Parts: sequence; structure tokens; C-alpha cells
Amino acid sequence: MPWTGPMHTVVIDAINVTQSFGHTHALSGVSVRISRGEAVAMMGTSGSGKTTLLHCLAGITQPTSGTVRLAPPIGAAASLPVVTVSDLGDGERSRLRRERFGFVFQQGLLLPELTAVENAALPLMVAGISRTAAQQHAAHWLAALGLGGLEDRRIGQLSGGQAQRVAIARAQVNAPDVVFADEPTGALDSTTSDEVMTVLLDSTIDRGGALVVVTHDEAVAARCHRVLRLCDGRLVGGPHA
Amino acid sequence: MRTPTLPLDAPPRPAAGSRWGLPLLLVAHLSRPRPGGSGSRAVLILPLVAFAAATALTLTVLAGVIMFLGWEGHELDIYPTVAGLAGAILVIPLLSLGAAAARLSAHRRDDRLATLRLLGATSGTVSAMTVMESAMIAFGGALLGTLLYGVGLPLVGLLSFGGAPIGAAALMLSPLVIVGVVAGMTALAALSAVLSVRRVVISPLGVRMRRDAPPLRRWHFVVAGAVILLAVGALQVMQAGTSLLVMRVTFIGGFAAGIGVLNLLGPLVIAAIARSQVKRVKTPERLIALRQVLESPAATWRQVGGVAVTCFVAVVAGSGLGLISQVPNGDLDEPSRVLFSDMSTGIVLTIAMSFLMVACSVGVGQAAAVYDRADLYRSLHLLGMPDLMVSRARRRAVLAPLRWTVIVSVLVAGVLVFPLVGLAVVLAPLSVLTIALSLVGGVGFVWLGVWATEPIVRAVVGAAE
Repeated sequence: MPWTGPMHTVVIDAINVTQSFGHTHALSGVSVRISRGEAVAMMGTSGSGKTTLLHCLAGITQPTSGTVRLAPPIGAAASLPVVTVSDLGDGERSRLRRERFGFVFQQGLLLPELTAVENAALPLMVAGISRTAAQQHAAHWLAALGLGGLEDRRIGQLSGGQAQRVAIARAQVNAPDVVFADEPTGALDSTTSDEVMTVLLDSTIDRGGALVVVTHDEAVAARCHRVLRLCDGRLVGGPHA
Repeated sequence: MRTPTLPLDAPPRPAAGSRWGLPLLLVAHLSRPRPGGSGSRAVLILPLVAFAAATALTLTVLAGVIMFLGWEGHELDIYPTVAGLAGAILVIPLLSLGAAAARLSAHRRDDRLATLRLLGATSGTVSAMTVMESAMIAFGGALLGTLLYGVGLPLVGLLSFGGAPIGAAALMLSPLVIVGVVAGMTALAALSAVLSVRRVVISPLGVRMRRDAPPLRRWHFVVAGAVILLAVGALQVMQAGTSLLVMRVTFIGGFAAGIGVLNLLGPLVIAAIARSQVKRVKTPERLIALRQVLESPAATWRQVGGVAVTCFVAVVAGSGLGLISQVPNGDLDEPSRVLFSDMSTGIVLTIAMSFLMVACSVGVGQAAAVYDRADLYRSLHLLGMPDLMVSRARRRAVLAPLRWTVIVSVLVAGVLVFPLVGLAVVLAPLSVLTIALSLVGGVGFVWLGVWATEPIVRAVVGAAE
């Protein structure tokens, strides 16, 4: 399977992914290919398997069968091998999530005792970057996302939309190949939701990353390049997308 | 397809009944374990164990104090006073432990409480249910603690005071005292639950705090200064020569005032140290730990402050006793020799008990905190933050303030009675070493308290996968 195409470069290639919990099949033979610079929405009713698929793609869980492959990072030496995420152990998957992926959750899930800039800088500090450099870089991201001047505010002192922008900054600071967002606008009003989606799309796509968004909201899905619909653990319209 | 017959009759209406009936029924229903949820079992078991530990320790300390009070008229009547002082030192960590257990049991029903509100239960019903549940868990834990106290009596009875093992029989409390302690624990849990419920808004959409932790005020310094001045004045009165009763009252009052001042200044000192360090720390775990301390210095102090008085007294009394131990045996009569040996045992025992209580209190507090922050821990795990880093941050958030408390208390004691401590270091290094090792061992107890909650973190994080 080629990793480059005429328009885009494939960054994640999931083949025939199945996930079972006991006798329940959460995913049944799903194949998905996601390219750099692409925003993909995953939709479906509750229990359709969209969050399970996100977890498999992001290396949060290991699929029961099938493979998930990740291309080498942008600008890396061509000799770097493709990583088979689904074969990695827990520690290696944690490292992958830390270094190659970014995450945005519905509730933000930021550390309430840290300031905005400290929250945003956390992934860099965890990766071993010095605090000063990490916070400088995070402050640039906060400013780029419209939070200039709010760096030293605690999360409780920010509005829901502002807190979600901090979460987006945290997801972007280490320039991840893919940003996974699970209902990122689920807790926001429609205006704020629209603003947050703009920020999330621009910040990810403009730097060549890929965005995978799990959502119930058609308006959010409509802003992505592609929509994958899941039903009973299968992709609607065929096993490949 | 045939449409099923719908039950169109009017739904049953509630009968007028006792106002406590519904909360009791709800408590019974919600106490059922959830399928496959080790976490839900822990919600019930942890506070139960915490109350059991608090009760067993309270009964043991009380038994010791009452035993020594009965030694009034002994050849050396200092025993009751010293035992009373040791008991008073242990009151703060005991209260902290009881309150931590109560907070844990009152805290853990957030999602269920919100669901009940959504279904139409009134705020009063939900609050009454929380209070009842906490009181019932405390009662169960207190009964278990009484059993533990009984089982541990032969072991504690092996301790030697007055030149011979005290024996289990001497530590037997009257049933009335035991009933009083069990009732006290239950009441403490109910009271703490009432306070916890008052601090949160239980709405159909969830449970949230009414307001952030109260900020520290500068007037604390003013009050502390005034109390110190009053205490100095009282000391002058004592030195002027008054009756034994006035001296005892002044002494106890001075001691209580000292504890009060400590509790006013402790959080301020902890906040000041944390603030001085937070800008300079380099690692994420240190940053998170210090920010957690700064988020609520008063809560941090409540966890670790119980050892402050213990450390202070350990240094002063330990140094004094260390010097006395250097007096040649022939220069001391037998009762005095036994007394000083007993006081040394008492100091080590008080340190051990005090740190044990703080360790239990920290363990319980950390368990509650882990459940509170379960979503956050899961998200950090998903982000790829190593679990070890989260554990280190949690450990530091407790052990760093504990270390500061021990060091500041030891330094203050050392400065106040410098000649005594200086002489002890030179002349009785073994005694000083014993006290130092007891303090280090105590910190080790607390470390174990935090470590014991690691499985809860693993269970919480494991739920992310």
C-alpha cells in the first residue's frame, strides 16, 4: 500500500481493525486511511464504535485484530520505518501518544491548579524540554489562539471556550502528526463551538497535521474534509474509508 | 406488529410518610455494589477502614491517658500531667484523621447524587442521604476499630512503664467510654458530611463547589501575634506564683493557644515556602506538586500539620531527657531513673502514634483526591504522561510540605532551647539520634500512606483503556 498519494501523504493506515469486549464486537473489520493536512469527522450514534476506533487509532487500546500503522514524522529521515501502533507495548504506545499525537477532550481536562501557560507547556516538559523553553513556546501558541495576556490565569478563571483553547494549545505544542479530538465542542454553546472548531482546524491543518474528530454535531462534521459514519462497529458504505 | 398495551392508569402516588424514610431507602439502594466495580467497593471500604483506624488509635491513646491519670498519688505525680500533654498533642492528628475519613465517605457519591436530583429528589433528601450514609459508614468503622483496639491490647500491654509491662488489663476502657468514642466518631462523620454538603451545590447537572478554597488572610498574623502576647502575659502571671489550679489552667490554655497559633500560621508558612519555590522548579512533577500545595495551603496543612507539635516537643523533651540520661546512675534515685526512661519511651511512642495518624489521614485524603481527579488522571494517561510522573507529583504534594513542617518545627524548637539542644548534641548524641531516627521513620510512615493509594490510581487510570 503506497504511503504517498497525488494529493496527500498518508499518516495513519488502519487495516481491518476489530475490537471485541467479551462477546460484544465494538468494531468489526474497519479500515481507515488518514492523510496529513486532512480533517476527518467520525460520526455515529452512541455505541456505534466511533470512540473505540479513535482509541485504536491513537494507540490508547490495542485492537483485538487488524493493524494500525503510523508513517514516520514530517521531516524525518526517509529510512525511518513505519510504526505498527497495534504491535507496540503499553510503554511504547504511551511514548507515541506523548510525542506524535495530541488530544482534546470534551471537558478540556486541564490541571486546575496550573496556569494556562503551564497547562499548555506540560507535554513539552514531560518530553524533557526545559521549563523556560516549554513555557515560551506554549505562550506563543496561546497568543496564536487568541489567549494572549491570559497566560497566568488559572483554568477556573477562564470561560469554557477559553479553557478549550488552552486544551487545543496543549494538543499542538509538540507539533503532533495527528490531533485526536473527542467531542471537543460538546460542552460549548453554538457560537463558542464554531470559534473553537475554527481554531482547532486552522491550528492543525495549517501546520500540516491531521485532525480526527469524534462528534455528534453535524455542523462540526460539515467543517471537516471527510465524514466517516459508523453503525454497529462498521463503517457505513463499506469497510474502507 | 401488535402494539403492546400501555399502562395508562395513573402512576402510584407516594404515601405521606416519615421524612427520613426516603433518604434511608436511597442509602440502602445506593450501597449495593456496582457490578465489576472495584472502585465502587473501595468507596465503601476505604472510609470504613479509615474510621476503624481512627477509632482504634483514639481508644488506645485514651486508654493510655486514662491509665496514667489513675497514677495520681504515685510516688512521682508528674505522670498524669505528661500523659495529658501527650494526649493533647495527639488530639490534632486524631481529629484530622477523623475528618479525612468523614470527608472521604461524604464525597464519593457525586454522580449518583446528581442523578437523583435529576430524577426529582430534593436537595434536602440528597443532603440527608449523604449525612446518613457517612454516619452509618462511620458507625460500622468505629465498631470495627473497637474490635481492633481489643485485639491489639495484649500487644500494647507489653509496653513497659513504671519499671514493668503495663499489661492489657490496665488499658481496658469502661464500656461507657467506648460507647462515647463510637458515638463521637459517628457524630464527627455526620458533622463533616453536613459541612461537605453545605460547601457543594448538588444540581441535576452535577456537583460543584460553591466557591474556591478561602484565601489566606494577613489578619491571621495579627491574631497570632495577639495570642502570643497573651500567652507571654499568662506566663508572667504563672511566674508570679499562684495556685496549682491556676498554673495548670494557664499551662493548658497556653498549650491550646500555641496549637491555635500554629494552625493560623502553618498554612501561611507552607504557602510562603511553596510560592518561593514554584517559579524555580524545572520538572513537571515538582511543578504540579507545588501548584497543588498553593491551590489550598490550608488543606495541605490539615493533612501534615498534626506532626508540628510532636516534632517540637520531641526535640525539647528529647534533648532534656538525653542530658539527664548522662547523669551517673548513682546520682539518681530509682523512681527518677524509671521516670526518665518512661518519658523517653513516651516520646518515641507519641512520635510514632502521631505520624501513624498523619499517615492514615494522608492515605485517606489521597484516596479521596484520586477519585475526585479520576477523569484528569485518565486524561494525563491518554496524553502519554508516564504514570510514574503522576505518582511522583502526588507523593511530592504531601511529602514536601511534611518535610517543611518537620524541619521548621525542629528548627524553631532548636532555636528556642538552643543551649539545651546544643548540649544534647555534644553530650548525648545517641538520644538525639534516636529522636532524629524516629522523625525519619515517621516520614517513612507517611510515605507508606501515599504509596498505599497507588492501586487506586492504577485502577482509575486502567479504566481509560
